[in-house]
Amino acid sequence: MRSQERDEALWKFGSYIFLLTLVVLVMIPLYWMIVAATIPQSEFFSWPPRLIPGAHWLENFRALQENVDFVNSMQNSIIIAVSYTILSLILCSMAGFAFAKYEFRFKEPLFYFILATLVLPIQLLIIPLYLLITQIGWTNSFLAVILPWAANPLGIFLMRQNMKAIPDSLLESARMDGATEFQLYYKIALPTMLPSLAALSIILFLNQWQAFLYPLVVLQDPEVYTIPLALADLVDQQRVYFDQIMVATSLAVTPIFVVFLTMQQYFIKGILSGAVKE
Amino acid sequence: MVRTAIQSTVRTSRTYRQLADRIRYARQDVSEIVPTIPGLPYAYISPFFILFGIFLLFPTAYTLYLSFFSYVGVSNDILLTITLGPLEITIPTIANLEFVGLSHYERLIFRDSLFHRSLFNTAFIFFVQVPLMVTLGLATALVLDSKFIRAKGLFRTLIALPVATGLVAYSTIFLLLFNDQVGLVNYLLTQVGFSPVAWLGSAWGARMTLVIAVTWRWLGYNTIILLAGLQTVAQPLYEAAEIDGATRWQKFRYVTLPQIRPVLLFVVVSSTIGTFQIFSEPYIITGGGPSNATITVVQYIYNQAFLQLNLGYASAVSVLLVIIVSAMSIVQIKYGGEK
Repeated sequence: MRSQERDEALWKFGSYIFLLTLVVLVMIPLYWMIVAATIPQSEFFSWPPRLIPGAHWLENFRALQENVDFVNSMQNSIIIAVSYTILSLILCSMAGFAFAKYEFRFKEPLFYFILATLVLPIQLLIIPLYLLITQIGWTNSFLAVILPWAANPLGIFLMRQNMKAIPDSLLESARMDGATEFQLYYKIALPTMLPSLAALSIILFLNQWQAFLYPLVVLQDPEVYTIPLALADLVDQQRVYFDQIMVATSLAVTPIFVVFLTMQQYFIKGILSGAVKE
Repeated sequence: MVRTAIQSTVRTSRTYRQLADRIRYARQDVSEIVPTIPGLPYAYISPFFILFGIFLLFPTAYTLYLSFFSYVGVSNDILLTITLGPLEITIPTIANLEFVGLSHYERLIFRDSLFHRSLFNTAFIFFVQVPLMVTLGLATALVLDSKFIRAKGLFRTLIALPVATGLVAYSTIFLLLFNDQVGLVNYLLTQVGFSPVAWLGSAWGARMTLVIAVTWRWLGYNTIILLAGLQTVAQPLYEAAEIDGATRWQKFRYVTLPQIRPVLLFVVVSSTIGTFQIFSEPYIITGGGPSNATITVVQYIYNQAFLQLNLGYASAVSVLLVIIVSAMSIVQIKYGGEK
């Protein structure tokens, strides 16, 4: 009996050690990013490396801003990610509403057809999209980055799943009260679906904010670079400015962390309804 | 259904009120409302389908088409002219192509050693990274699922935080961490008595760096999904196993594992698809080097298409990649889905 108790205590202790080790391993790269962003370039090559943040952040940021117009990239990223998220939310919620709440011909085949495209890797689309964008003269335009991924199969799937939960009686009674068909969508469905809209918008925003391969192909002018492209450009240069890269990285990551930490319950809800629901 | 409800109600002569309730109940069962405007649902779905058709369906079909051609250049030919009254729409062909049949595929499968190399590198990352991450993710989820753990939310958030770092941002952090000369990892290794490792300077070191980086980023994401799976396992099953005197390992092996099989399968399949699409990590951290030791299939597609403008050839690589990934997913679903 006593050995069983000891066994239990050992198991608890081991579990905590495991979790703490994992958290330390996860946090080291992020901590190191902050250290690297706040010390001068000259101290970078000192041995042993510095492990405590310095106060050189602003100087590093100035050097970065002189090298690449980082503020401009940040603006571009915000404009692109926000308008993409809004557009995609509208498209997916409208279509999801119809798939969840109306009966019409070819409903099932159309929906399963969309689902089937979820397995297509986006890399497959890069080459023809590049040709298409070049041909219609949209290279270097924000539209080229926003439009192609706005019809998001995962988005429509999540919206349909969640909108099934709206009671039909609610929609019927709104209609009895004289609501138009379109009002059913934007006055009843959208407000009741706010939590799942939030979940989807975080996923869409993160995807667009972090997108790299496709913007790399269609955005070629540094004027229209998004943050990932500006970052990759810094790495690409002959001399590697680690301090600037880390300033840029920390700036790219901070707003996302804030969004993630404040809205993580929605984020988790979003990935789970994509994954676990049958 | 409605009719039988009415008939039975009338037969047993119930009140009208009950009849109305029953009809409402029967309609709720169908769970769809009938629009008062015909064709309205199509209006709701068409904006989605227009973009979906132009930017997803057409490109998919076009990739397959393109893989049988060699790309000669941009074309100015007009494919189609549509006249709608005063409005005239001309649709240009999007590329100048030369038909080559299956020769791209023949070259890829039998003669292109760089493609074989990229496939090997991708497969290496897959075979090491996916088992490592799934095992670690499952262990983390199991620990987080224990009743005695405090501050579960905090642990979960911290472990999931890397998902929020962008691909390029985290890649650059790892570029610095694993730098052979000034990187923190080598410094820590020398502090505990190891000799520094040529992480980015050697083929195996560079591949391991990619494995570690990808695991770092996706571990928390998979843990959250597995944790949700664990929470669906019914407690009575564990209680029954305990009464039968099952050990911790037996409970895991015979209760937990079979119960979370679908979730586990989802994690494995989506990680498979993810690793075969790896691009920004090798592009940023290793640049595909040293001497092509970490070039991945998607990076090879990128190089062929946008550095050498072999768009047809690169399309053939894309098609092969899709075939390989789908085949692997089907095998996994078949093998992991039953028994």
